[in-house]
Amino acid sequence: MHTGTGIQLLDDKLGGGFARPSAILLFSDHPSEKRLFAEQFLMAGVRGGERCLYVDFFRAPQLARRDLSKFGPTHGDDIVFVDATSVQLLIPSSEPYTIRDMDDLGHIMETIERAIRETKPARVVVDSMEFLADRFPKEDVLGRWRHLLEVGKEAGATVAYLFLNWTYGQAEVERIEDMSDYIVEFQSRMRTGVLQHFLRIRQIRDGTVKTNWIPYTFKELVGLTVYFPRILVTGPFNAGKSTVVRALCKDTVSIDRMGTTVAFDYGNLEIMGFEAEVFGTPGQERFDFVFQIFAREVNGVLLVLDGTRPEDAPRARQIMELVGRDTPLVVLANKADLPGSMGDADIRGHLNLGPDVPIIHTIATQGEGLTAALRTLAEMIVGVR
Amino acid sequence: MTQESRIDARGPRVSPLALREQIEDAMRDLRRLGDIVAIAIARRDGLIIAHDLPPGVDPKKTAAMSAAIVGTSEMAGRELGQGKFLQVIVDSDEGKILSTGAGEEALLVTLVRPEANMGLVLLGVERAAQRIAVLLSGD
Repeated sequence: MHTGTGIQLLDDKLGGGFARPSAILLFSDHPSEKRLFAEQFLMAGVRGGERCLYVDFFRAPQLARRDLSKFGPTHGDDIVFVDATSVQLLIPSSEPYTIRDMDDLGHIMETIERAIRETKPARVVVDSMEFLADRFPKEDVLGRWRHLLEVGKEAGATVAYLFLNWTYGQAEVERIEDMSDYIVEFQSRMRTGVLQHFLRIRQIRDGTVKTNWIPYTFKELVGLTVYFPRILVTGPFNAGKSTVVRALCKDTVSIDRMGTTVAFDYGNLEIMGFEAEVFGTPGQERFDFVFQIFAREVNGVLLVLDGTRPEDAPRARQIMELVGRDTPLVVLANKADLPGSMGDADIRGHLNLGPDVPIIHTIATQGEGLTAALRTLAEMIVGVR
Repeated sequence: MTQESRIDARGPRVSPLALREQIEDAMRDLRRLGDIVAIAIARRDGLIIAHDLPPGVDPKKTAAMSAAIVGTSEMAGRELGQGKFLQVIVDSDEGKILSTGAGEEALLVTLVRPEANMGLVLLGVERAAQRIAVLLSGD
């Protein structure tokens, strides 16, 4: 059984989502967007008709309910809250499970465990472990937490818990990782005024799941969306690069002269649960300076080749050198409907491609093969194994 | 970013929120010159940093086009022996688009009314570009 993350591209690669039951550590060293991921995870369950339990030490249940509704409608009782704020604010609580003493770790954990045992939820979110780590002795928190996760597993729940590490050292963090089945790490970084977010998922014990750092953004009503700020469409002259950009994106700008791109093609796409900005480069060598403008921080490359023209191979190899070997790349053998188009072995030979570079045969004018190529590239960037 | 590389765990020197406010302050001060219609700040590789473009103008497209215009102009300046790139002015019949270098990494794009007093505008834009360059040099 699986519990989906609510992010399509991830769920596809995780075989439906996180295994259920399991324990998921949502971890970061710096403040990040962990809570959005947790909310989306919970709401994916609500949409699927699952019962969900939310423990929030920071937000009153009515505020949490309002925040969750930005992902879609919530009904009266599909989310059960453990109220941990009324007692902090000295107001009466209307929730079925209420923590009455925030100075008593045993009472806090017993209340959460009782809620899990009685409601038997499919998903539990606890926001957050650091709230307890900052207030109670280390050994007590770690011991009780292990017990909580066991209770969650017995009840058949997938328990996701947030942990922003202010206080613990490497050894404690490893112990926390050790009680979890998955760890989702979050990072944000700023470069020249542009803030980018990344997450990465690891399966702790058997290690069958391990993703690269996945760039994402947040969209109103959708939630976290895998987001590639730069997919480069490049290749030799007259291979069909602009046609590829226009076929993939709904709204494009092209700067061309008589059908030849002299500056760039640009478009934005939303497909298969992810979003991307697509930049098409000119093919001719004299415009390589344009290529250099857009070739920074590239997430992935679609290299378009006229499959009937082996004589373009040297230029294609030159472009691959410009791109660099570390960037995920898919070769589009275009014009596959024309006579004389090369087979995979020929293309691999001419381009000197390793066995791990996918080749997809496309007919860009008919849109054929393009979605497959894009999906292959997206999977390479995300890199689930 | 390459597949294997790790993200630099150090946070930015100023918080993203504080930086955003400072950039918006700089944009607001520039807008006080009445002849300026809209402002965008973009990275030289075509990503948008901040803008107050009117609805209907796509900020991402604006950033990409500005990067291409500036990149091409920079190349032309260098090839024709005119030295380091400073600014491009695109003069159209319903207004002007200024793309001004704001440090090594960023561009200040300004939409200006056709009848504007360009002396005043150029002075203000130059000052704002320098301010933005300093703000962005920190991260």
